This record gives sequence, structure tokens and C-alpha cells, in this order.
Amino acid sequence: MGDSGKPPMNPYLAGVFLGLVLTASYAVLGAGLGASGGLARLAAALSHLVAPAHTQASAYFGAWAPHYLSYYLVFMFLGLFVGGFLSAWTAGRLQPGLERGLGCPPGRRALFALGGGVLVGFASRLAQGCTSGQALSGGALLLTGSLIFLAALFIAGFAVARFFRGQWYA
Amino acid sequence: MLSTFYGADRLDSPAAWAAAFILGVLFGLALERAGFGSSRRLAAVFYLDDLAVIKVMFTALVTAMLALLLLTGSGLLPPEHLFYLPTVYGAHLLGGLILGTGFAMGGWCPGTAAVGAASGKLDALLFLAGGVLGCLLYNELYPWLAPLAAWGEAGVDFLSPHLGLSQGAAAFYVTLLAVLVFWGCEILERRRGVGGALLSGRFLPTFSLALLLTAAVAYLVAPLDLAQVSAAGPSREAALLAQIEAGTDHIEPEELADRLLAREAGLVVADVRTEAEYRAFHLRGAIHAPLPRVHEVLAPYKNRGLIVLYSGGMTHAAQARDSLARQGFRNVYLLSEGLTGFRERVLKPASLREETPTPEKAARIRAWRAFFLAAPAAVAGPEPAEMPAPLPGLIETDWLARNLGQPWIKIIDLRSQPEYNTGHIPGAVYLSYDSLRGVVGGVSSMLLPAELLAAHFSLIGVTPRDLVVLIPGEKMHDATLVGMAAERLGHRRYAILQGGMAKWLKEKRPLTTALPAAAPSSYYPVQPGADDFTVDARAVLEASQQGRPLILDVRPAEYFRGEKSEEARAGHIPGARNRPFSEDVVAGPEGVFFKPAAELAAAYARLLPDKQSPVIVHCRTGHQASQTFFVLKRLLGYRQVKYYDAGWSEWASRPELPVAPGK
Repeated sequence: MGDSGKPPMNPYLAGVFLGLVLTASYAVLGAGLGASGGLARLAAALSHLVAPAHTQASAYFGAWAPHYLSYYLVFMFLGLFVGGFLSAWTAGRLQPGLERGLGCPPGRRALFALGGGVLVGFASRLAQGCTSGQALSGGALLLTGSLIFLAALFIAGFAVARFFRGQWYA
Repeated sequence: MLSTFYGADRLDSPAAWAAAFILGVLFGLALERAGFGSSRRLAAVFYLDDLAVIKVMFTALVTAMLALLLLTGSGLLPPEHLFYLPTVYGAHLLGGLILGTGFAMGGWCPGTAAVGAASGKLDALLFLAGGVLGCLLYNELYPWLAPLAAWGEAGVDFLSPHLGLSQGAAAFYVTLLAVLVFWGCEILERRRGVGGALLSGRFLPTFSLALLLTAAVAYLVAPLDLAQVSAAGPSREAALLAQIEAGTDHIEPEELADRLLAREAGLVVADVRTEAEYRAFHLRGAIHAPLPRVHEVLAPYKNRGLIVLYSGGMTHAAQARDSLARQGFRNVYLLSEGLTGFRERVLKPASLREETPTPEKAARIRAWRAFFLAAPAAVAGPEPAEMPAPLPGLIETDWLARNLGQPWIKIIDLRSQPEYNTGHIPGAVYLSYDSLRGVVGGVSSMLLPAELLAAHFSLIGVTPRDLVVLIPGEKMHDATLVGMAAERLGHRRYAILQGGMAKWLKEKRPLTTALPAAAPSSYYPVQPGADDFTVDARAVLEASQQGRPLILDVRPAEYFRGEKSEEARAGHIPGARNRPFSEDVVAGPEGVFFKPAAELAAAYARLLPDKQSPVIVHCRTGHQASQTFFVLKRLLGYRQVKYYDAGWSEWASRPELPVAPGK
């Protein structure tokens, strides 16, 4: 499954675009961009569906009760899907499927995607943000914790990448 | 001048949500256009096959950094209208490592996965499902993870001061670094034959120059130190000062007590002290909001209902209130005079007050006390795991040294005052065991009634949830006598330091000559009927005539035999057996110790065949007998141990009572 549709934009110009969106976020909302915050609220709302009393009483999700989804990052998360869809559609990059290397069984790729998600979801709560909300948004203000997070992210990524190489390369 | 939703405290409004949605759309557009709707392309960065992730991310960071400096530096955007993520060194380092691992494994991060899922990628959907699971896992484990999440908390922390730079200078160097990284990326890609097309042509040099020029301009217009301006917005500070000035931010203890008693809806009382202090005692219904987490805990109540903060005095609560006010909380009040004032003005019983309260006031006080003191379940103590077990019992110097400084431990030093004043265990208070005794009903050296003992405990700051640690000097029975006072009050949380002060000194443990930093008096409630073990002469006479319970005279053998006497008559109570108290302890230069429990158990098994055997212990004044009482009841588990406090002192002086001559 190779790339199709238009080739991606010049990365530097894309970066400037993203940086301006982040600036707009700070100028309008007073806070940066974020994705994992919305994901966590979604998790809390799902948890509430299954076990309302437990969720309300839990130490972490409980602070968001009872309106788990009434939060600006939830709306930003929704916007991400819409923007991503519009862009992919107009660029001819809508490609349903499981993205993986030719030599990789679909089951393994699915497992890695799920497992990676669990780690990322967990880590985003521990660090109060992910690549966008913590590394990028905090990094742009030169906040120490965000820059440490950014460095740690890449160090770990490069260090462990070899174990997951098989899902992309034969 | 721009006013942000956060700055106006309207981030929770539908207008802000709509803005966030539109920004999200643009965010998604930017990520997708960058080609980040593909996990393979994202993951390629880790195999150095496509460095777009680094280029896009770094460019975006630098662009926003410079744009924000220009906006704040030119005065268009007030820096205090921005939200700064607080730094938590440990959590950020560990979180980054785990997140990087998940990124390389899954090929996505949350934002890009949303875009990937919108492009139809199944692996992105799976990744997001995993993300939800990860959040759920975090929530379930949070009680154990909380210390980790707060590991290395540093508040809002900018990199620039660490480097000795202004924010503008740091931004310039970061831009320079970014330009070098971009060139490095292109060269690396060309060498590996996976890109580097931008090396030729005018784009990269032009772009680099533009960034550096912008950085230079930003440096010039941004002399402001963000770190300083972010700490306090001028407008809020002024409002806060006005509020403090007007005194409208206080609530009096009596008013709070009445409102809590009425179970007023929407009233949130938050204790900002440490966890140990909160566990030791807190106002009924108060939630725990320790200073470092006060925003987080109180976020759900922001501008809803009424929040009342309290600490021991006023300082910490005021600190928390100021910090909350800066975050836009407008419904925060302080308890006047803190917990100390509350104890004094609400919990202190009418009988102990300087001015006799009116009958109405006395009734109010009774109602308050019934509400705030009569619910032991609501007044949580330290976890059993922290307490030495079993209690009452013995503790070792190791345990005490480890737990020094815990607010729920009250150490009582029973040596002489000169010994105490020349060096005592940090936090220890001095107490003479004899101050707990007096003349009662004409008999001297009697343990005082519960009301007076409670007043003594109050004066030295003991509360019912405290662990009282008794430090004997040379005599173990000094400690056990204070133990009897605790027993009379129903206070089971007391322990005696095995080895006493001598062992502590021998082991060169910490000492101080300073009085305890804060020894506020507390209020110790009386539990009627807690003393079900003290018996009088009549009960002892009955036992003497019936041969049961066993009367155990713990005086030295020569007194028992009548060879020595300091009282009206010599001898002992008919039928009594002698087991000198001194047999149970070993005292020497190393300290004063109870003998091993097995040895004691064997010795007493000869006198008292089973743990249900009833026994009355006595000596001359009740001092030595307190030690045997402690050994039998607390160390060996005898269940029916009575204490004839008046002892031989009374018995010998009442001619109608029979005396067995010595043999």
C-alpha cells in the first residue's frame, strides 16, 4: 500500500502553517493545541457509561464529573477529525485499510497499533499531554518540562524503533 | 489588546468550544497536509528514512515561539492571559519515554491518529482505542500513580533562567539550533538517498534566513521576562488585594460550624494541610486539597457554590486562596484563624471557656461538639500500616526515628525537667507523671479523674487520633503511669519506647534543646465509662474474702512480707500474692527494657493459668502497679485486669480492713 494522491506539502511550509495554527490557539483560547486531552475525556465518558458511580468516585476521572465532555479539548479533538477528513478527501488521500509493510501480517500490525495506543494514552496522562499538547504547545513557550518531554520522546522512539521495524520493512 | 478565553475565564463557554472546534479543524488540516495521516511516514523518522516529523515539528515550534514572543512583546497579547503547563520533571521525563516507545510501536500519536482515522486508516482507529484503554488504566491505577505524577513538581518553569538567558535570547538560540537541525536533516536524507531535494535551490537558505531574522526581531521586541509576568496578572492582583482589604474573603468559625451543621448544599470545605495532618484530624465533611494539588482538586467547584479553605493557622490557606484567585476562582473563602481558631471557638467545651457562655450559646456549643467530635468514622486517623502494631504496646527506637516529625505522633518525655531541657527527642514535650495524680477523696497520689486528665492532654496538644509515644527515663513505671491516664481516657493509641531515653541517647539519635515548633493546645474529649478497670477497696476486700479475683501485690518482697513499711501498717492484703514489678524489667546503662514477652508469659502463667483469669493489681500508690497492669493487659493479653489505684497506702490507713502479717 504505497502513498497515493498528491505528494505531501513541503514540510517547512507545513510546519509554519501548524505553528500559526498553534499561535492562533494561544491568541484566541489562551491555551495551546491538544489531542490527548479530548481522548482522555472520551475515555472518562465511556468509563461513566459502564460504571457511573465508580467513575465519579475515582480520583482522576472523578474531577471531571459529571460533564466529562464539556471541555474545549473535546471539541478540538472533533475538529481534528473533520479537518483531517477534509484535507485527505481534497488531496485524494482517503485510503481505508490497515497501513503496514508487505511482509507484516495484519494481526501483528493491529496488535502493535493497539499496544502503542495503550502506552501513549497512559503516558499522555502521566505527562499531562502528548506530542501536540505537551511537546509542541509547551515547547513553543520554552517550558522546561515540555522540552524534557520532547527530548525523552525522541530518545525513546529512536531507541526502541528496531523492535518494531518488521511492521514496515520486509 | 487580545483577550483570550482563558484570560477571561471563559474556556468553559460554548463560544470557546466553537473556537476550539474551528482550531481543531485547522490543526487537522495542517497535520494531514504535512503527510501525517500515514503511520508509515510518521514511523519512518525513527529509521531515518523520512525526517518530515522532525522538520514539521521543529518548524511549528519555532514559528509559534517567535510569533508568541512578537505578540506578547508588542503588547498585543497579555502574557498572563496564557496558560502555562506546569513542569513536573520526573513525570515529564518518564511520560516522554513511554510516549516515545508507544509512538514507535504504534506509528501514531493522538493528534496524527485522529487525522489518520479520518483518512480511513484502521490502525489509527485501533491506536485510538488503545489510547482510551491507556487512559482508563491510568485512572484505575491513579491512587498508586499519584506520587509519580507529582514527582519533581516545579510549577511553571521556563528554560531560559536555567541557561542564564532572557526569553528572547533563548528563543534566538533555539531558532539557530532549529536551522542547523534542518540542514542536518537534509544532508542526512541526501546521503541516505531518501530525500534532501531542498538542499539544492533557494528555498532552504531563504527559509533559514527568514527564521533567523524573525528571531532577531523577536529578541529586540521581547525584553519582557515571561516568567515574571506570568506569575500574576495586574488586574487580578488588584482585585484580589481589594478583596483582602475589605475582609470579604473570610468566614468566621462559628458561621462555618453552623453552615456545616445545617449541611448546606454547595458548601465545599477544603483542608490544604498535608495528608498526614488531614488524616490525623479534619473538619467533618472537609475534602483534602493539599497545596500542590489544590487547583486540580478544586477545579470541579470553580465558581460554583462556596469554597472554604483552612489550614492549621492562616498562612497556607491564604497562599492557596491567592493562587486559586489567580486562576480565576472567585468563590474562595478562608476560615478565620484556621483550625486553631475553630478548636478554640467552636470545639472547646462550655466548661473550659473563660467566659461562661449563655445557655443558648452553651446549647450551640453542645450541638457543634456532637457534630464535629462524635463521629469518629469521619475523623480518619493514620492508616493502620503506619501505626506500630499492636497498640497499646512497645515501639523500638528505629521506628520512632523513622517517623519523627509525623504530625500524628505526640512524644512525651518523662524524665526530669533539667534532663529534658538539656536535650530531648525533637518534637517531644515534657511531662511529669506526678502532675497526673492528686488527692482524690482524701487518698493521696490517685490518678486524676478523666476530665482533668483530658485537660492535661489538651494542654500538651494530644488529640484522640494521635499516637502518644511515652519515653521513660530510668523507670519504666513512669511511662506506664501515663499509660494508665491514657487508658482512663479510652486512648488506645499509645506506645512505650522500649529502652527509654537511655537507649535513644546511646544510639546517638537526633536531639534538640528547642521546644516543639508549634505545640498548640487541642481539645481532648472525655469518653464517659472508658475506665472500667479501676476498683476500690470494697472490691478488693470482696476478692480477699472470696479468693477470687487473684490479688497481685507488686511491691518489693520485703514490703509484702512486712519487713519494711512506709505506711500506717505493715504487711499485705490477706490472700494476695507477690510478684514484684521490678521482676518484669531489666534496667541498666543501656536503658530500661521490658523482659521478652515469652519470659514474662511463662512467669505469669504460674500465677494466672489462663488469659481470662481475673486479677487485681496494686502496689503502694498505684505507680508500680501501673507497670504490671500494662504487662498483663497490653503485653500478655490478660483480659480481666483490674487496678486498685489507692493501694496499700489507703488499705493500711483504714483500720477496718484486714491485714495479713508477714511470714
